[in-house]
Amino acid sequence: MKDIVLKTDNLSKSFSSGGVMQHVLKNISLKLYRGDFTVIMGASGAGKSTLLYALSGMDTPSIGKITFGDRVISEMNQDELAIFRRDHCGFVFQQIYLMDGMSVMDNVLSAGLLVHRNKKALAARAEELFASVGISKETQKKFPAQISGGEAQRAGIVRGLINSPEILFADEPTGALNSKTGLDVLDMLTKFNEQGQSMVMVTHDMRSARRGNRILYLKDGVILGECDLGKYVHGDRARHEKLSAFLEEMGW
Amino acid sequence: MQKGIILVRSNLRKAKGQTASIVMLILLASLMLNLWLMLSMDYKQNFDRNHSRLNAEHVTLTADDDSDEMWDFLSRTNEEDGRMAEFSLTHAMHMVGSFEYHSGEINSELVFLEKETALTRPVGKIEILEDNSKYTSGIYMPVLYKSEEIAIGKQIELFVGSNKKSYTVCGFFNSLMAGSHNCSITEMILTEDQYRKLEEEGYAPKAVLCSVRIKDKAESEDYESMLKNEVSLRYPDLRMESNSYTSVFQSRYISQMICSGIISAMAFFILLIALVVIASNIINYIGENMRNLGALKAVGYRSRQLIGLLLLQFTGISLTAAMAGAGLSYCLFPYLNQMMISQTGIPYQVRFLPLPFFASLGILAGAVSLTVVSAAWRIKRIEPVTALRQGIQTHSFKRNQVPLEQTKAPLQLALALKTTLSGVKHNIIIGVTMLVLSLVVVFAGLMVENVIADISPFIQLIVGETADSCINVTAEAEEEFKRELSRDKRVEKAYLYTSLEVRHVDGVGLMATICDDFTRVNNKHGVFQGKFPKYDNEIAISAKYAGEKKLEIGNEITITANGKAADYIISGFTQTSNNLGKDCLLTRAGYERLGELQNTSYYLNLEENTDIDDFNSEIKNRFGAQVNAVINIESVIAGASSVYVSLMTVIVIVVLLLSVIVTAFVLYLLVRTMLGNKKRDYGILKALGFTTGQLILQTALSFMPAVISSTIAGIAASSVIINPLTSVFLKNIGIVECTFTVPAGYTVAAGIGIIVFAFAAACLLSIKIRKIAPRTLLTGE
Repeated sequence: MKDIVLKTDNLSKSFSSGGVMQHVLKNISLKLYRGDFTVIMGASGAGKSTLLYALSGMDTPSIGKITFGDRVISEMNQDELAIFRRDHCGFVFQQIYLMDGMSVMDNVLSAGLLVHRNKKALAARAEELFASVGISKETQKKFPAQISGGEAQRAGIVRGLINSPEILFADEPTGALNSKTGLDVLDMLTKFNEQGQSMVMVTHDMRSARRGNRILYLKDGVILGECDLGKYVHGDRARHEKLSAFLEEMGW
Repeated sequence: MQKGIILVRSNLRKAKGQTASIVMLILLASLMLNLWLMLSMDYKQNFDRNHSRLNAEHVTLTADDDSDEMWDFLSRTNEEDGRMAEFSLTHAMHMVGSFEYHSGEINSELVFLEKETALTRPVGKIEILEDNSKYTSGIYMPVLYKSEEIAIGKQIELFVGSNKKSYTVCGFFNSLMAGSHNCSITEMILTEDQYRKLEEEGYAPKAVLCSVRIKDKAESEDYESMLKNEVSLRYPDLRMESNSYTSVFQSRYISQMICSGIISAMAFFILLIALVVIASNIINYIGENMRNLGALKAVGYRSRQLIGLLLLQFTGISLTAAMAGAGLSYCLFPYLNQMMISQTGIPYQVRFLPLPFFASLGILAGAVSLTVVSAAWRIKRIEPVTALRQGIQTHSFKRNQVPLEQTKAPLQLALALKTTLSGVKHNIIIGVTMLVLSLVVVFAGLMVENVIADISPFIQLIVGETADSCINVTAEAEEEFKRELSRDKRVEKAYLYTSLEVRHVDGVGLMATICDDFTRVNNKHGVFQGKFPKYDNEIAISAKYAGEKKLEIGNEITITANGKAADYIISGFTQTSNNLGKDCLLTRAGYERLGELQNTSYYLNLEENTDIDDFNSEIKNRFGAQVNAVINIESVIAGASSVYVSLMTVIVIVVLLLSVIVTAFVLYLLVRTMLGNKKRDYGILKALGFTTGQLILQTALSFMPAVISSTIAGIAASSVIINPLTSVFLKNIGIVECTFTVPAGYTVAAGIGIIVFAFAAACLLSIKIRKIAPRTLLTGE
């Protein structure tokens, strides 16, 4: 029996746009399990990112309940949500969002120091993560504008993991990268998941989706279907075919 | 042009908050600038307009002799002088007098004139400004003294010499040369019956009032000296009093001068802040709109056109704001005018003044244009292709000045410091603003300590010597008077301190203060350079006069009086504003080389809790006619200074308020700019788990290094320069070196107050951060 790390009950999200209400998420009930690499797929406008940000406490639902352990995060105010995010979540963004005025190392430490008081231990953890994603000491001292997109996204992953989050949320992490660099980033995410890191990733890229063990397909704000791919094995043809068939069934 | 206007409108729409702040700063600068220009360009000219309208005199002299011989003598003396244009002689009465005013006492040389005579004098006419036909017997007073207590129909008690008279106030008049105690002579107009009655009572000696218009008003002081000299040569013991156009003109506009000095300083400080803000805005604009500017250049706009657009945008809003500010100054001018009139006593009609108006607009438009062009000049260096690729970085990657790994500062502070160090322009704006605010706060403290809370330091500086009581006795009674004082236990200190006019042979008349021993005077700072005269061949003269005549300490000058001349060595410089800086100090032995004192004034320090008026009355009763005058100095100071205290209170409040408003606007502008520039960073930080409170604290803290350092520097520097700066405002009345006490405790508290205010304001203004949601980072589904 897998541990439930996050649960939603009848989650809905609506936005008002030009005086017209748009129901982006409709009545979603969902469980996320510890150690899973959950992938949310769907066409543009399906509500993938909205679901990701609602699950991560970045945004609040219009209706419904989101529970993390025994805490109802959907009832938290903005400051409580911020504390929830810093303590339990990590983020990797499509646009990377490193802060231009800070060095790569400071970008990571600014997130880490929010939670950890022991600067030495934190620096050591950052160092270990940087080493695992292949970012040199020299690069750590550079500013975001002085490094490549791949390096920046790897730094973004380190920042997302610095506080050892219970779930790492990744929103199209390869969306702004070229094919080779994107693959490197996916390898890293896979590696961290293999080490036990729970992950939720939004993507519309099949190559990225293949890395997950659980695929959720979102359409018009509802989860249309779910596919269990099992543990990722590099070059597993059957896995690829299963995902293709699932997506085809979903109308991809 | 059409395209230009569209671009300008688009820029304005995008930066509404910043535009509003710049508009407010320019509006305030324009308001102050126009007030200053109106005060300095037209207000004093009002004196000349009134002077011409009333055919007022340039020299006034009243002599206590109304004989035909005196009339002949004065007529001849005036007629023989080629500088005279016209003159008139009038029967009058002259005596030292006093009355209560603003819970103090006005003490002046009063000249009583009969109403019809005063109204029909060919030279030196008065005009009745307000009266009531119900009251046909009584007194008309200078309009300066109109107050709640002194009003038409009310009774006023007037001491004529030491005789109390009670009159019904029938009205108020305007007299240019004798309408205020600042003129040396104060005219009082009596109805015919009251005039006759006073004449019969003999409380005031009959006198002649001589009013002379001269061809060149610049020679008024010389003419006055000539006239006084001639009279005193012919009638050595005659009591007389005089004034000149120059001295009256300056003394009636002291408050105008102080006020206009302060307003001009404020105007230029606010303008400076506005210009720094505009320059910073433009630099920011170029940084943020590099791509747009590149695109505009790529489609064929020339740098000159792009700079022109910014010029159109900023000059346009500045001119609009400046016009509004100048317009607003006309709403405030009547209040300022009322304050001024309470010191000048000369009515002023507020009207539109095109010259100051257009000069204000011109100065502001010129300053803004220059600033815009110099700040926008960098547009010339933008290459379209590089700009389109955003190749011109606005961030410096030279050094990571606060590496989080190494710094010992807490996270919030460290992140705030990073922001501080990356915002040089912001720091400069804050620095300039806080320096100005510190200067204003120190000035306010100086005025509160030395004028508003306790006016003695101001009085000591302006008037020179103060004591509790001043008693003037005849020379014959002096010895007995001194014996009486030495017996009286209430008298702590008594010293001769009497004033007489002498003449410097190379210059004009000087008011000589004669003291038997200057080591006994209360104001030890009366001589601010060199020393008080000690021997009979020493003299201390005013620094202002010494400067005009290029005299140095150690120089020998010749002084004349009573037809005698004597040489004196200058021992020191004084800086009291008595006689507007034309004064000197002599020992009694020194003066006696020129003649004997006819009467002597003694300054007395009385035991605490002694009723000064009772004491003076006792002395008056004891010595009778041998006492010429008794003055309650404390009361006189209270009366004369009340107008300065209230004026200074208003100035301090307005200046502080304005500074706080300006600082709040500047902070608003900076916070808005920062929130705009760092919106993405705030979103990221919120996503990472920073709370709104932490980000507000971080933002406010990022201003603090500049706020704290510039406030400390500003307070320290202001404390040092505030006295020299204040003396600049008071230069014209003879003050060379201000010696006001800078209140240390207040200054430190004010510094802390400024820092707390800036921090609180920055926190409040940053509250908008709560509206920045991390979900704004959401991009595409």
